[in-house]
Amino acid sequence: MEQEILSLQGLAKEQLAAIENGEQLEEFRIRFLGRKGQFGSLMKALGNVSAEDKPRLGQMANTAKKTIEALYTEKQQTLGTGSQRASEKSGSIDLTLPGRRPQNGKLHPVTQIMNEVCSIFESLGFSVAEGPDVEHDHYNFEALNIPAHHPARDMHDTFYISDSILLRTHTSPMQARIMENQQPPLRVIAPGKVYRCDSDITHTPMFHQVEGFLVDRHVSFADLKGVLTTFTQKMFAKDLALRFRPSFFPFTEPSAEVDIACVICGGSGCRVCKRTGWLEILGAGMIDPEVFKMVGYDPEIYSGFAFGLGIERIAMLKYGIDDIRLYYENDLRFLSQF
Amino acid sequence: MKFTLNWLKEYVDTGDLSPEALAEHLTMLGLEVDGVTEIFPQLKPLKTAKVLSVESHPNADSLHLCEVAVGEETYSIVCGAPNVRNGLVTAIALPGTIMPDGTKIKPSKVRGIKSNGMLCSERELGLSDSQSGIMELPDDLEHGLPLLQALGLDDLLIEVDLTPNRPDCASVIGIAREIAGITRTPLTLPVNNASLEGAPCEFKVDVEDFEQCPRYTARLIKGVVIAPSPWWIRSRLLAIGLRPINNVVDITNLVMMEYGQPLHAFDYDTLAGKQIFVRCPKPNEKTFTTLDGVERTLEPDMLLICDAVQPVAVGGVMGGLNSEVTAKTTNILLESACFNPISIRRTARRLNLPSEASYRFERGVDPDGCLTAMERAVSLFSEIAGGNVVPGGVDLYGGKQPLNSQTLRISRTSALLGIELDYHKIADVLQSIGIRCKEKDKDTLWVNPPSFRIDIEREVDLVEEVARLIGYNNIPTSLPVVSLSYPEQDPQRGLRSQTATLLTGMGFSEAINYSFVTDKHLSLLKLAEDDPRRQQVTLLNPLSEEQSVMRTMLLPALLENLKRNINFQKNNVKLFEMGKVFTPQGANEQPIERERLAGILSGRRGGESSSFHFNDENVDFLDGKGVMEQILENLRLQGCGAMDVVQFRLPVPAEVDPYCDPLQCLVLDTEKGVLGHLARLQPEVARSFGIKQEVFFFDLDFVLLCSLQAVPKSFSSLPVFPAVKRDIALLVPEDVKAGDLLESVRTSPEKFIECCEIFDVYQGKPLEKGFKSVAISVTYRSPTNTLTEKNVSKSHTKIIQRLISQFNGSLREG
Repeated sequence: MEQEILSLQGLAKEQLAAIENGEQLEEFRIRFLGRKGQFGSLMKALGNVSAEDKPRLGQMANTAKKTIEALYTEKQQTLGTGSQRASEKSGSIDLTLPGRRPQNGKLHPVTQIMNEVCSIFESLGFSVAEGPDVEHDHYNFEALNIPAHHPARDMHDTFYISDSILLRTHTSPMQARIMENQQPPLRVIAPGKVYRCDSDITHTPMFHQVEGFLVDRHVSFADLKGVLTTFTQKMFAKDLALRFRPSFFPFTEPSAEVDIACVICGGSGCRVCKRTGWLEILGAGMIDPEVFKMVGYDPEIYSGFAFGLGIERIAMLKYGIDDIRLYYENDLRFLSQF
Repeated sequence: MKFTLNWLKEYVDTGDLSPEALAEHLTMLGLEVDGVTEIFPQLKPLKTAKVLSVESHPNADSLHLCEVAVGEETYSIVCGAPNVRNGLVTAIALPGTIMPDGTKIKPSKVRGIKSNGMLCSERELGLSDSQSGIMELPDDLEHGLPLLQALGLDDLLIEVDLTPNRPDCASVIGIAREIAGITRTPLTLPVNNASLEGAPCEFKVDVEDFEQCPRYTARLIKGVVIAPSPWWIRSRLLAIGLRPINNVVDITNLVMMEYGQPLHAFDYDTLAGKQIFVRCPKPNEKTFTTLDGVERTLEPDMLLICDAVQPVAVGGVMGGLNSEVTAKTTNILLESACFNPISIRRTARRLNLPSEASYRFERGVDPDGCLTAMERAVSLFSEIAGGNVVPGGVDLYGGKQPLNSQTLRISRTSALLGIELDYHKIADVLQSIGIRCKEKDKDTLWVNPPSFRIDIEREVDLVEEVARLIGYNNIPTSLPVVSLSYPEQDPQRGLRSQTATLLTGMGFSEAINYSFVTDKHLSLLKLAEDDPRRQQVTLLNPLSEEQSVMRTMLLPALLENLKRNINFQKNNVKLFEMGKVFTPQGANEQPIERERLAGILSGRRGGESSSFHFNDENVDFLDGKGVMEQILENLRLQGCGAMDVVQFRLPVPAEVDPYCDPLQCLVLDTEKGVLGHLARLQPEVARSFGIKQEVFFFDLDFVLLCSLQAVPKSFSSLPVFPAVKRDIALLVPEDVKAGDLLESVRTSPEKFIECCEIFDVYQGKPLEKGFKSVAISVTYRSPTNTLTEKNVSKSHTKIIQRLISQFNGSLREG
């Protein structure tokens, strides 16, 4: 048996040394190392030897097989054949080939901006609350000092479900919902979807807003300016110029709109900023005493500010998206850009 | 609100403010300027021309040969207008001019005679619909002038986007007042203050309810001659986009734009009984025809202006056809009134009749201003329309409000704005726009806002005025001083972001679809009529049928997204969406909103990667399952040592939705109920969405997912001793489930089994039909010592026997 092993090993060595090409090498592999090859038979034969010889002979046979396998591999490399890829045989690969990339997808740009907005306010100590998309008229309007037949309702093209149930037109109802259940001090932002029955080149009937408010003792308009300046500069650029100008919302007084220097033209005037050099970016104001009274806060003790901003608008400005319909088509050619 | 720069300058000296600076000031006062634009820029090349001679055209009866003077030059022109005559001053388009309709004027031959330009009609210039030939300008007008200059239209149009709280600025004078506050110059007004002489009057007015109509004033003008307005009035109206009609109507419109007070002129001779009643409809008054010729349905609470017999106008909204001023009108009853904003708004809404008048009334008109506007209008009537103003009139002012008087605390103002203020600063800015102030005590001012500032009702309204007038940008910037607190965060948000990160890491992109969809989707999915997802929340006023119900599933929109991507040759699609679905409750109740997570996989497994790197195999069910397993393990709901919180199981037939392939569908089950499912979409359903390729999807209840108790992370010591791996190639009947084999190994009583996995499944030649070979690798390890061959062989043999006997299998040979 010992002889047998050694002879097989010798034979194999001899044959291997003589091989000149891949074809011959493959023939060799089948004859010696294949499942039904010589070494295979040898192993089977080991089954018949006596129990006391078995470990020694077994080990010997294994060593022999391993030796031949190692030589086989070596030969394979010198011949540059076998299962190895063409690129590997010379020991170098074409580095200009594209990398083998694991796949990954992208978050929707609206989600990306939303996350960015939320994280800036979270860093400032705001908590995040979400509310229902389908709202009571009461929270969407009445509790925000917009009674029925108020001209301010013109600013909201509302989808109705019934007389008293509607799709929220802004995320501001969360102001009333939260203040109704909690006591100051409060620092909250409320992100979510909002709906207006308006659809054209600059409006989609659904879009995303983030509402935010801060209520405490001694909160001032100067504080509103400070927080929103911080936010805007974090969101866009550190030295970005911005301005606050008077506006009107029934649930804030004084009310303001915040403009940033046009990010497209840098303030010199272009089509996007309607040649004004400024872009409207958010609405804000000191919470109206009427809103406080409706939730039982004493406006003589507490003051606060609220603000709201549109995510799609920020994404448009930040990424230069020029067609808002793209947001909800979920075209991978669009999504993969962000 | 639209006006022109020159119009504004009639009332206020804008000093050396450029139009841009003026616009900037208005914007910063809260009167946001939407645009400053040239008026009728297309008419810039046109000039005035004087007709010097007119002869008949030798070859055409209806044409004339004219010599016209344009400044120094004379031109020969062929003109077909019937009104062309010697001495007429009109508008000319010289060769090279591009007309508003885009045609270019060229020298040409008309019936054999050369014509060097065109004399233009108002219609051709887009100035009116007049059919009466070429434009007729005053005879004494210089020729050769730019037409725009001659018409007073060489001006800039300024458009202000008014907020609802400032109806006082829905007037050129209102805007001028704000500018005067900046330039600190006095206003020049055509009429400052007017009162009514107490002369007896031949008509009678009654107001039923002063709540609905706080003030009604009326005057009579006799002997007017209806004619086109002079150009200065027409230009004003044209510039802001109002169509000139006749002198009477134009004057009422002009004064409305000037003072913000809507006026209405009735043909006095059509008013039965020479009487006006301001009242609601009588039970028999069901309809009324407004002056636009439309019959309107009246409702009991609408406010009407009536004569002794019938309604003659819908108060504050639109006049009636029966009392309209016509070419034959000679006597006019002019109304200047104030109506209840809510009533007007409701009426204008229900009649779907928004007008310049209702716009102002519903925001609030100053009742104190009625007579001033009236005075301005009647003086224009006598000046321009040859009217004879009858002295006296009616002024019913039953809704007079007491003088608006407020107090304003200096400390409160300073604290709310975050800026130190004193009496002088506050009084100075308020008085600059006509708000009178007086010192009450050290910290308090008495303030009397003018009557037209109906928006100032409270102290905080005055605080806003102070802020606005100081300039928001002159208020300092500070950060609030607040006590530190930890903002508690919603765990659902955290899990959402974690899941989204996992999915994007696996090649899925996030989709966001509209919450409203078409209800046709559910039929395409072949949902049964009694499927609860057929219960949808319906919009009362959808924009389209495509967006008419709130979604109850995320899948259909994702399929539409897939279709769209395939249309644009993106065939390899992995998309997911996290969003709410809506289940209706009672009619006046909010629906239940529940967040779900759904995803689709379709196309190549390697996605868009080159087939040089990845082969071209398409995704299959197990790709979807792998995604689920990956998410569940990372959320520690599966495969974390302890009992799996979420388990896959085969569905019972009732659980297989009609859009799922029943042979490729798994349920994700939990102790709290079914989390969702994972399936192959039925190919015919895919086709009904226009998709020809295989689609796999998952659809989970994200709220339930968030409620599951994750297996806490806990450390177990790293193994010290080596593992031994043994393989089994088992031949079993083809219906044996791989999962059952693994489960059998895992649950066997043998010690030291660390894990087991399937590494190959083979069916086909040379195996016997009806059988498959499953290769299982079992890993053995002892925590306390190195396993010997003997230990392992014993266990391994037992496991093989267990599998063979349990599954009617055999060891694969050869």
